[in-house]
Amino acid sequence: MYLLRLALASLGNRRFTAWLTVFAIALSVCLLLAVERVRTEARASFANTISGTDLIVGARSGSVNLLLYSVFRIGNATNNIRWESFEQFANHRQVKWAIPISLGDSHRGYRVMGTSQAYFEHYRYARSQPLQLNSGRAFADDPFEVVLGAEVAQALNYQLDQELVLAHGVATISLVKHDDKPFKVVGILARTGTPVDRTLHISLAGMEALHVDWQNGMPARGAAKVSAEQARAMDLQPKQITAFLLGLNSKIATFSLQREINEFRGEPLLAILPGVALQELWSLMGTAEKALFVVSLFVVLTGLIGMLTAILTSLNERRREMAILRSVGARPWHIASLLIVEAFALALAGVLLGLLLLYLGIAGAQGYVQANYGLYLPLNLPTRYEWTLLGAILSAALLMGCVPAWRAYRQSLADGLSIRL
Amino acid sequence: MSSALIQLSNLGFAWPGQPELLDIDTFTLQRGESLFLKGPSGSGKTTLLGLLGGVQKPNRGSIQLLDQDLSTLSAGARDRFRVDHTGYIFQQFNLLPFLSVRENVELPCHFSKLRASRAVQRHGSVAKATSALLAHLGLHQPELLQRRAGDLSIGQQQRVAAARALIGQPELVIADEPTSALDADAREAFLGLLFAECREAGSSLLFVSHDQSLARLFDRSLSLAELNKATRLAEI
Repeated sequence: MYLLRLALASLGNRRFTAWLTVFAIALSVCLLLAVERVRTEARASFANTISGTDLIVGARSGSVNLLLYSVFRIGNATNNIRWESFEQFANHRQVKWAIPISLGDSHRGYRVMGTSQAYFEHYRYARSQPLQLNSGRAFADDPFEVVLGAEVAQALNYQLDQELVLAHGVATISLVKHDDKPFKVVGILARTGTPVDRTLHISLAGMEALHVDWQNGMPARGAAKVSAEQARAMDLQPKQITAFLLGLNSKIATFSLQREINEFRGEPLLAILPGVALQELWSLMGTAEKALFVVSLFVVLTGLIGMLTAILTSLNERRREMAILRSVGARPWHIASLLIVEAFALALAGVLLGLLLLYLGIAGAQGYVQANYGLYLPLNLPTRYEWTLLGAILSAALLMGCVPAWRAYRQSLADGLSIRL
Repeated sequence: MSSALIQLSNLGFAWPGQPELLDIDTFTLQRGESLFLKGPSGSGKTTLLGLLGGVQKPNRGSIQLLDQDLSTLSAGARDRFRVDHTGYIFQQFNLLPFLSVRENVELPCHFSKLRASRAVQRHGSVAKATSALLAHLGLHQPELLQRRAGDLSIGQQQRVAAARALIGQPELVIADEPTSALDADAREAFLGLLFAECREAGSSLLFVSHDQSLARLFDRSLSLAELNKATRLAEI
C-alpha cells in the first residue's frame, strides 16, 4: 500500500531518531520477555524440586522452615529428632519407604547431607524422575564415601576417587574442619536442576563417624581423638537425624498419618505435605516475582511513551510534508493513517529487534544461568502468553499512534495547503 | 459546459472571530487561459488559494470549478475534486525530500485515479508520462529520476514540482510564487517551459506573484488588491 511506502520513506528520512526509538522499544520488550521467561522457569523448577514424597517430617517448627532446610538446603533445623522416632514411622504399616536426612556439615559452601541408600532409590524430582548417577556408584558400606551433586562436581572440578575434607557447620568459611577424616568421591549424580545438584551426599554412618569423638560441640583433643581407621571399627548407628521423607502405600492415608505424626507422644514432630508447603513458600516469593513483572511492564510503557514523544516532536517540523501531501490529494485521514502506520512500524520493528536480542541473550547466557542458578532457559519459540504480551504491546502502540494522528489530522485541516516556512 | 474554468461570484470569507478577509464580486478564469494575479502579502492570497483548493468553505457566495459548486461538496469530495482537477506549485521546498524525483512526480496519480488514467491514456503508463514531462522540462538524464528530490538544486526542484502539477493533465494549475527563489534568467526560462507544458496539456494557469515584471508574459493580469473589496476598504 502506498501509505506504508510514504510512512517508511518519511521514517527513513529521520532514521537516527527512528532507530533510537526502535532500540528503546526493543530493549524494553527484551527485558519484559526475559523476566517472563525467568519467572516461568523459576516457578517450574521450584515446583519440580521434589515429587513423589508424601510427607516431610522434622522437629516441630514452621512448615516453610522445615521445607527450606530439608529440601532447599536453606537455613537450619531448630532441633534434631531421635533415631527411634524415625524407625517407628519408617516401619509404619502405611509407609512404603522412608529416607532419613542428617544435615549440619558443609564443604566449601555446599551442604553435606547424611542419608541412606533409600535416597538414591526413592527420591524423585520433576515429573517423578529418579536420581541418576553420571559416573561411579552410590556410597556403600565404607562410611567415608561421598556422592556429589552435579554442580558441586563441576564447580569444584572434582573427579571420582578424589579425596576431600568436610567442614563442621554450614558457613562458607568454616574454622573447624574434619580434616582427620577425609572422604573419597565414589559417585557423581546427573544434573537435576534442583538443590540436589548442590549437595554432597554421605551415609549416616559417615556423618556419625565425623562426630563420634566430639564432645559438647567441640572436636576431641589428644588421646580422645578417634582416627578414621578406629571409627570404621566402631558402631556407627546414628542416634539422631534432622528430618525424614516418607512415601506411603496409599495417598489416602496421608492425612491420617500426618495427624498421627503431629500427635506423636515420643517427641514433638511436624509432618508437612510438600505440595502445600511449596505453595506457601511460592506465595511469599510470588510477590517479588510479580513486582519484577510489573516493573518490566512499566519499562515497556516508557519505551512506548518515548516513541510517542519522538513522533509528536516531529509533527511540527513535518507540517510542510503534510501540506505537500494535501496538495497532491491526500485527505486528512490519509495524514492520520500515515502517523498510525508510523507508530505501528516503529513498535513492530522494536518488537522484532527485541525478540532477536532476547534469543541472542538466551543463547549467550544459557550455560551460565544453568550452571549458576540451576535455571534452564529454553530457546523455544514464544509461548502463547508471550505472543499475547507482544500483541498487547503492538495494540498499545497503535492506540498511542492515535494521539499524533489526531493532532496531525487537526493540524492538516487547519493548515490546508499553506506551508509555513 | 461553459468556457469558464473558475467562476467566483459574490464571495465572502472571514476566519472565525475576525473581520472579513475576502470580498470578491466576480472573478472568472477561462479554460486554457493564463492569468497573472498580483498578490502582495496580506491581500488574502493564501486564503483565496485555500478556497479554490476546497480546503476552506466560503461564508457566502459560490465558487464554481468546472461548473461544480465546491461549497455543495463534502470535505472529502472537495479533496478528491482538488487532486483530480488541480495541480499545485509552491514557492519552494515543494517536494518530499526523502522520495525520489520520480516518486515525487507520480504522487498525484496515487491519490487520483482520474489523473493516473489520463497519464496512461496519453503516454501509455504513469512512468512514461513522468519521464516525458521531466524531459520536456529539461530534466533529461534518466539517472536523475532515481535521485533523492532533496539533493537537487532549487531550479531543478521547481521543474520537478511543475512536472508533478502537470501530470495527468489537470484542468487548472495553480502556481504560488514558484519563481521567487530563482534568479531572473532562470525565472523566464522556467515560465517558458511552464507555459508550453500548460498549453500542451490544455491546462489553465493561475499564477500568483508580487513580481509585476512577469505580468507581461501572461494572457491577462489582475491585482488581487483591486479585486478584493475587503482589503480595499481596510486600506481606505
